[in-house]
Amino acid sequence: MNYKPIDWVDERLGTAKFTRKSLNKIFPDHWSFMLGEIAMYSFFILLATGVFLTFFFVPSSADTVYHGSYAPMDGHVVSQAYASTLNLSFSVRAGLVMRQMHHWAANVFIAAIVVHLLRVFFTGAFRKPREINWLVGSLLLMMAIFEGFLGYSLPDDLISGTGIRIAYSITLSIPVVGSYLASFLFGGQFPGNTIIPRFYTIHILLIPALMAGLLGAHLAIMWHQKHTQYKGKGKTEKNVVGIAMWPAYAMQAGGFFFLTASVLAALGGLVQINPIWLYGPYIPYKVSYAVQPDWYMGWLDGALRLFPSWEITGFGHMIPTVFFPAVLLPGVTFGLLMAWPWIERIFTKDTAAHNLLDNPRDNPWRTSIGVGVMAFYMVLFFASSTDVLANTFEVSLNFVLWAFRVLVFVIPPVAALVAHKLAVEAGSVQSAGRPRKAMVVSRSKEGEYTTEESDPRPELEFKRHAMHGDIAQSLPEESRLHGEAIEAADDGEDYAFSGSSIAAVLAEEIGERPSGGSGVYEVPRGAPGSGGGMFSPRGPSQSKEVSDSEDEK
Amino acid sequence: MKFRKKLGGRVVVPVALGVAASVGGMALFSQGAVAATSTGSSSARGANSITYGGTLGAGSAPVTNVKLDPATIALGKTLFVENCSSCHGDAASGTSRAPNLQGLGAATIDFWVSTGRMPLADPTVQATVKPSRFTRQQTLAIDAYVSSLASGGPKIPQVNLGSASISAGEGLFSTNCAACHTITGVGDALAGGVYAPSLYPATTTQVAEAIRTGPGNMPRFGTGNLSDQQVADIVKYVKYLQHPNNAGGIGLGHVGPVTEGFVGILIGLGSLMIAGYWIGGRAH
Repeated sequence: MNYKPIDWVDERLGTAKFTRKSLNKIFPDHWSFMLGEIAMYSFFILLATGVFLTFFFVPSSADTVYHGSYAPMDGHVVSQAYASTLNLSFSVRAGLVMRQMHHWAANVFIAAIVVHLLRVFFTGAFRKPREINWLVGSLLLMMAIFEGFLGYSLPDDLISGTGIRIAYSITLSIPVVGSYLASFLFGGQFPGNTIIPRFYTIHILLIPALMAGLLGAHLAIMWHQKHTQYKGKGKTEKNVVGIAMWPAYAMQAGGFFFLTASVLAALGGLVQINPIWLYGPYIPYKVSYAVQPDWYMGWLDGALRLFPSWEITGFGHMIPTVFFPAVLLPGVTFGLLMAWPWIERIFTKDTAAHNLLDNPRDNPWRTSIGVGVMAFYMVLFFASSTDVLANTFEVSLNFVLWAFRVLVFVIPPVAALVAHKLAVEAGSVQSAGRPRKAMVVSRSKEGEYTTEESDPRPELEFKRHAMHGDIAQSLPEESRLHGEAIEAADDGEDYAFSGSSIAAVLAEEIGERPSGGSGVYEVPRGAPGSGGGMFSPRGPSQSKEVSDSEDEK
Repeated sequence: MKFRKKLGGRVVVPVALGVAASVGGMALFSQGAVAATSTGSSSARGANSITYGGTLGAGSAPVTNVKLDPATIALGKTLFVENCSSCHGDAASGTSRAPNLQGLGAATIDFWVSTGRMPLADPTVQATVKPSRFTRQQTLAIDAYVSSLASGGPKIPQVNLGSASISAGEGLFSTNCAACHTITGVGDALAGGVYAPSLYPATTTQVAEAIRTGPGNMPRFGTGNLSDQQVADIVKYVKYLQHPNNAGGIGLGHVGPVTEGFVGILIGLGSLMIAGYWIGGRAH
């Protein structure tokens, strides 16, 4: 194999050192750490399908007479946005499946963010030193919800048009500045002709760019701080136990990307979402009964439905009712969400850095608050389908509404109480969190079987700082960067690439290094700010220093 | 080889499956795309091919009236006395329990009886659709009997869909009907235990009867509101909505984002979480 191009790049950019370290990075391996990955891969699918959609979508409110292939809409005067979405769905090859993949990916994207957030919350992964990433993640969630709303509003169909109408009213309801804000955003009165092009620019340019930047920061910070890990044998606050970036983690993550893509592709190809041709174009005097937003706006819609029509006055002016459920509630929600690491600290007085995660049962108070808050938003979420529930279960809509008004206060404390009790119970169980003992069945010479509980399971063998020679030898061409370097490490000699610039770089700049491969590794974790930074090596010598200096503290 | 063994079970298989599924999905897309490109014309064909079992040919008036046979009045009276008179009275003139039916027209009687709403099981709640107790002939006989008692009221409409426009129907439906029956015609709960029923089980005649007579809470649309041609257009669109163009795949009941959200969260995210659990590490 010819390494000259690699060397050429390396001599100019010094990529060997960076690549080597990156490929050797250790990631704790647990399925719950992959929830955020679902969100990230959905985001990639959103970008890819979204680019395709922009080729055909016309972001304009200008009227046009539709004469496409969808007969029931033939001859109707519709906006160009709606007409182009119809054409995209019926006349562009693979257009509909792309549109549906985009929509399903958005639904899964935000669902994955929420589940990822819940994992981070209930395991206490937001604690020092990861508060910044908690803020970044919260911002990403807010933007994703807003982005989703803008996205499904773009086709200018009857259902989403009603949603924009609601958004206009919500903007209007903000005291003092509301009418100005609404006027700026809509370029005058609702509906106007500017909202679709403006939403388009925000949807395809502004927010995606911000989200991509924040996602990059989210990952870079995670990379820099190193991933958290669950408590377990051999895992401490000062090490990272897991699989190497290359090849094990890369294969796992790559495979998971394809799985995500395939699930979204299957949904997009098989399950219809947002059939705007059945909804018709948005015409302000028309309305369809039973309009729900997409699921991630459900809690806001539910709050709007449940909030009583009180006329609340302040400073001599009436504050519109929708202000409270639709502006104040999300403001408080995201405010408290982002402030949570600091709110918790007020009560726990815990200022230490944490790399080991809590089990939810370890912290009954946090768990119960989390469950209670989650229950509150779940009730609001279900309240956004009061009409569908009433129709499905053949009960009065008014009864359903009032039931939710009661449940929204009753369920959260009950759920929190139950969660607290369960956490305390689980925490008091002696064997909680310990590995189960292995049952060993053995047969004697006479044929008699005996079952014994073994001593605690044999400890997981972590590979430290060196690979087995046989793997390196069996895969000489797999990766030059790990294959031959490993051998050198085992021999205890300098890197054995005599005459190779990569080897020289590695020997000089990195020193003896463990290398990637499959299996579970343990590497020291540099505490943030103590030199264990993004690109610092994890070689034995450096790590020794790091752990020593930490011990002195 | 150790490398392959270690990774084989947990990583390579998912990757292979993912790729296979993606390719499979793509294969489906291209079919979907072909279907999508041809749907316009096929839906037009489908709409035009909706046949009506009546005796009217194309070119006649959009709505004609069913002629009731006076010879069936006796049979109708028998059926009415047996099944209806305990509430509505022998001569359909109403009692304290039920309204006077005289002069309401054959269309009203036909709608309530043919949809199975009458006879009513529970007079305290909104009448629900159920299998009709009578054959079509028996129903027409009852219609003939009740409409023979007094003149007036709309007659049973027979809709000629051949000359109706599905496109005009969409415009009229979204303006006049969607506000209660929803834009997809699936129906929904209204305030106070009242609901707008699903339009999916309705026949062409029943849709036209409902428009003209305004059963229950529904407003009545007379000829001043909607012409016979417009009624035929609406009926044609409602018949289309019963089997709409589901170019995108499974229709999910046409109730909009509610079912879509559940599918997205439970099937989309759910299957991916199971996949993550499969390829990721578990508790050590």
